[in-house]
Amino acid sequence: MSAYIFCVDSGSGLPIFSRKKGNIETLPFSVKGSLNGVHMYGKSMKMELLNTITEDYCVSWKEFEESVVLIGISSGCTQEVLNNLMTSIFSCMVLIVGINEIRSQRNIDRLKRELKICYPLVDRLLDSLDCGSPTTKYNSDIVGMVECILCTENHLMQILLESYMEYVDSLYSCILIHGKIAAATESWWSLHPDEMKLLSLLATSENVTTSKDIPIFLPYKSPTMAFRFVTCTLIPDVQICSLCGPTPSLLEIEHLATQCFKSSTETLTAAVQTHPRNFPLMYQIDEGILGVLLIKRSSGKYMISKNPQQNSVKKSASNSHRLDILRTFYYQAVLSLLFIDGNKADNEKEINKKTDKKSKIQKEPTDVANSYVGKETYWCSEYHKCHALVIHDNILCVLFNSNIPTYAMRMITQKTLNAIISDKQIGW
Amino acid sequence: MNETRQFSDHSLCKNENNEVSGDEDWSESSYDSSCNSDSDSSIPDWDSSVDEKTGQVLYIECHPFVTQTIRDDKKDKEKIFSRNQSRRSTRGKFLQLLRRKEVKRYSKRNIKILDSESHNTNKVKFQDFQEGEEREVTLKVLNEHVLRGNNLVETLLGINVSTLSDGMRLMVAGFLHDSYAKYERNIKIGDWLKSVNGLEVNLQNINTVLQQLSGKNEVLIKLQRVAGVEVTKDPPINILNNQSAFVRQLTSFTTEEDENLQELCKLPFGFAYIATDKLDEMGTEYQDIIYCYPRPVQKNTLCNSKGIFLTLSHLLQDITKSATKLTSLFFDKILCHITYAQFEKNLFLLMLPEMCAKPEELEAIAAEISRMLIFTYDTLENCFKNEEIQHVDHIFSMFFKRMINGGQWTGELKLQDGISGIPISDYMFEDTLPAVCTLNLPNEAVIQIEDALTELEACDYREWNEEPLDCQRIFTVLGSAWYHSGYLLASHLTYEDLVDIHFFCKYQGILHLSKTEPVKTLILWRECFPTSCRALTVPIYKLPEARRYLLIVGSGKDLLVVIMEAGGSTEFPEVNAAPDPFYVEEAQATLAHLQDLGLPELADRFIEMNPGPQVTIPVASSNKKKLDVLNFSMSAKQAQFRDSATKKPEVTSILKRRSNDQSQTIYTSTYSLSEDTYDVHSEDSGSQGCGSELSDDPVAGRNGDKKNKYDSASDESGNEGNCDGSQMSTNSFDITEIKQMLLTETEDVRPIQIASGTVNVLYHYVQFDKLEGILLSPPECKIESPVRESVISNFRRCCQHIHKIFQNTIRFKDMSSQEMSKSMINKSLIAIKEYGAMFECSVLEDKELKKNKILYWVVGRLFFNPHIREMYVCYNDAIPQNMIELAFKLNMGFCESRQ
Repeated sequence: MSAYIFCVDSGSGLPIFSRKKGNIETLPFSVKGSLNGVHMYGKSMKMELLNTITEDYCVSWKEFEESVVLIGISSGCTQEVLNNLMTSIFSCMVLIVGINEIRSQRNIDRLKRELKICYPLVDRLLDSLDCGSPTTKYNSDIVGMVECILCTENHLMQILLESYMEYVDSLYSCILIHGKIAAATESWWSLHPDEMKLLSLLATSENVTTSKDIPIFLPYKSPTMAFRFVTCTLIPDVQICSLCGPTPSLLEIEHLATQCFKSSTETLTAAVQTHPRNFPLMYQIDEGILGVLLIKRSSGKYMISKNPQQNSVKKSASNSHRLDILRTFYYQAVLSLLFIDGNKADNEKEINKKTDKKSKIQKEPTDVANSYVGKETYWCSEYHKCHALVIHDNILCVLFNSNIPTYAMRMITQKTLNAIISDKQIGW
Repeated sequence: MNETRQFSDHSLCKNENNEVSGDEDWSESSYDSSCNSDSDSSIPDWDSSVDEKTGQVLYIECHPFVTQTIRDDKKDKEKIFSRNQSRRSTRGKFLQLLRRKEVKRYSKRNIKILDSESHNTNKVKFQDFQEGEEREVTLKVLNEHVLRGNNLVETLLGINVSTLSDGMRLMVAGFLHDSYAKYERNIKIGDWLKSVNGLEVNLQNINTVLQQLSGKNEVLIKLQRVAGVEVTKDPPINILNNQSAFVRQLTSFTTEEDENLQELCKLPFGFAYIATDKLDEMGTEYQDIIYCYPRPVQKNTLCNSKGIFLTLSHLLQDITKSATKLTSLFFDKILCHITYAQFEKNLFLLMLPEMCAKPEELEAIAAEISRMLIFTYDTLENCFKNEEIQHVDHIFSMFFKRMINGGQWTGELKLQDGISGIPISDYMFEDTLPAVCTLNLPNEAVIQIEDALTELEACDYREWNEEPLDCQRIFTVLGSAWYHSGYLLASHLTYEDLVDIHFFCKYQGILHLSKTEPVKTLILWRECFPTSCRALTVPIYKLPEARRYLLIVGSGKDLLVVIMEAGGSTEFPEVNAAPDPFYVEEAQATLAHLQDLGLPELADRFIEMNPGPQVTIPVASSNKKKLDVLNFSMSAKQAQFRDSATKKPEVTSILKRRSNDQSQTIYTSTYSLSEDTYDVHSEDSGSQGCGSELSDDPVAGRNGDKKNKYDSASDESGNEGNCDGSQMSTNSFDITEIKQMLLTETEDVRPIQIASGTVNVLYHYVQFDKLEGILLSPPECKIESPVRESVISNFRRCCQHIHKIFQNTIRFKDMSSQEMSKSMINKSLIAIKEYGAMFECSVLEDKELKKNKILYWVVGRLFFNPHIREMYVCYNDAIPQNMIELAFKLNMGFCESRQ
């Protein structure tokens, strides 16, 4: 597995930053220069270079705000995932320095310096690339979506959070357990998934202090106006995060947080137990299930879990590999088959706008051709089976032991999904 | 000359002896005519279209009109004569000996080519026909109209014209309301407009002829009444062009009008072949471009931006250690893709917009084109040499034209609307696989076909000669295949060659021709370079130093494809050898024999089953009535059949029927399999323990059954004692009898219903066997149904994706452990063997039923035993289907569900 991502100034071609993942050599400057060069040259030929695929790799170019170009190279993943990742990385840059700074580019060196803060975030984002080999501990990240944890205590925490919200006078707050959202306010859910994801990552990255107070821009909601992002650690691995204006100060917030949650440490400690299963222990799920991935597309959240109940798993995929399989299944099967990917739809829209009415008439047959809705998908491998079911907004992907009969998967998935979405306590 | 004369005399007397019930024998008629004419008797019709330099032939004669030859315009008679003589002299005794015996052969086979006969009679009819009278009419010209514009006939003469059935000759179709012509008694609708002022006119030259009339008040037009009978006439070759537009497109090598090419240059279409080692600071800008289309180079989009692709190609190779495959970009706001292929030092680039081909499809297309070019020219370097350029241009011009017209072959290169005028092509899947769509015929027919092809391949001419042949042959036949209407019916070629030929026929438009237009005669001959005859990487055996030739003969919708080898065991090949008439006749005779057996009719019957018992058309489930109509006959039959046989479903009954005398072990294993699988319905396909066991089972079962099938088939024929394969060498059977028998015997034979259950739920299936180059899929369905279109389109989209995922598994299987550790392959994708998805489709055609949704599955499965096969099915959710069971039935081919 390997991935490179680097950012260059689109006018001058000067490098802004460069990150890599996996045990690989850094790209020499000349190579980066050439990769940027072809993109630049293409522009002069009325060509906008999008991506190139090789046998195992995928290379993507993406220009933002006509000022920076991101170039990504990754193995083993689909083009769509790489593209989404690059969008997330740009959002990350905006989060730290604001869109104006990127647009104006008065001083490249200053921008470079400022962007150093986002390196840990970019590195974490790179973890969401699907590489098919368990090299990091973060192999559960999914691009463009925020991870959640489903505790039985979620409901209680939600109540606590709402009272805290009134004290702090912020609509945007959430409680993170190991960086996964356990409870969040309605307004928090109204943020763009990328924003939520980046804030969760920001809260957990380089966690050496108990509290943080970082000025941030919201890439979608407020790319020009900065907010304060404040986090306090309540008990180890549990953080409360909020977006605030100039007041109250960090000290006041710390104080308020202690007051609010003082009496409920037990609840919190119990909730932390849910990690790393991310999924209430009391749920008795089928023995054949090795892992589940639950996704709500409208709010951009997901929950991924490996089922530790499994005992006889010697033959089946190793524990950490399970999440990888689930993620690959989601990227490759669910995204590519069941949903026409967002990029293509956008492109089609763009073309539609540009062409006249005549071609719209011709387009109709393709609309007819697209008149299908994906419901279910599965694959069977020598070593495991995966099954995904779509019910309204929710998608449940389940990783099964290879012994399970194919016809049974559907029923088990259906049962499991219904059990989760009907539970009020975990608040999915 | 003398020799031939002698020969034809000989033939005549032989024929008299053998003539059967006054039927004109083919050989006789041909020699007859040759006797009467002064020219060399054995020069066949197509001889004039033999290319002088290369010996290639492409000769297409359309029904029932006039011959069109392609390359002969410049040639004079003398040249042909001398070449013929020289050829004759260089060829050995072999042919002379054979020629003498030819007649015997024909009489033996009892072959009569009906076409030539009917052609003759047609001629006669015309000459006698009273209604075909010609008339001359003087017409006043409406000169006040402006003399510009497209329709001069209308403005000048006041006549609406259209063309006669040949697409070239003009026919009076109507009159303008106040024209002089309307009141002229001698001009009738339906008349053939022959000439204007003495100049012969047709669709192509009418406007130019009429333009010359400006200023005149009257014209003399000549008409001929056609009145119900097609006028057939042998006009001077090439003056009356009777070909359909498509045949003209296939055979005319004239380059496109410059204007259109200029238009094409502005759009993201293009092909380029670039040398990567010739980059030179000093050289001119385009010196590294070996070939490009469209030209000129300066305007070709790909050539202009070649820097991008050259850089990416080698840079990404360096970074990722894997070959660059495809680049996507926006060109002028149009999403398009460029695919790469590296051939040693040269780069092969093909660019198409997304609306014409999706990325995976483009990759497949590029692979097909390069394979086709290599098959035709040995190497890509050869094919872009100057002497071949015209032909290659023609291939690319046809290809891009087809792409612009949304996959339609017959379209024009019209680009007035720019990119928006290009229809969006649907998803492709079956067409992109390197395999040939095959039609399974009943065993009785297969035996006949195999027999005929084998006899052709054997080249066993001993019996025709009393004295032994003591000389070498000119060609050995490496293999042959028979296509009907675009479907492969039988092949004796190695699978690589079969796929080579398939691509060749596809890109030369020959397959499309055989699908859409029955031709009278088609002859194609050229040197070819089949994959099986390339230098082996592991030299298991030594390939003879020889040349191979591709011979395609066609008649009606049938194509017989033969690869012949000269050299090795035969006489040493001539340079650029033209086809030998003897071998061409031999192939034609085989084809005619197959046709006489009624096999094309049989194949047509299978092709035209709409949609046939194998698949059904998607209908919403609540729509009971409709469903019944569609499935009634079949399901009723099935039910009846089942009742009479066993209570178990049809798998069992088939097996029972077939395995009367089969060894018990195989019987039980297949039986238990089918029973098991039926009981669990969607049987698990991947569980490690029992899964592998199961996937082995059907193989054994199938093989056993196949063997059994042959057994029973031969038994049958033995009992009846007459449809034995040897009818060609024994005289005792009349072909018409065999034909009758074959057609009646197979009348009730229908393809098996593949899906289980009383109601057919299978919408579509594709089985792709890469090793054998065979694709099984139901014949094209001609019933229009938007739901079906939508379902099939989605099926193709999914299959393309599933196919891509399966490639990981296949690739990983072939990897050595060393490669494995180095490879960047996604480890979660290495062992996937079944992949399915379910979709919901709303009923579109009926508004009342809008609420009813159809739920259907698209499932792909990879089978490893006995060799890798991919199978894709699309079926309704109503009854769970088991892939193993489906594959099992599909491979059994035919259930003789006779009543």
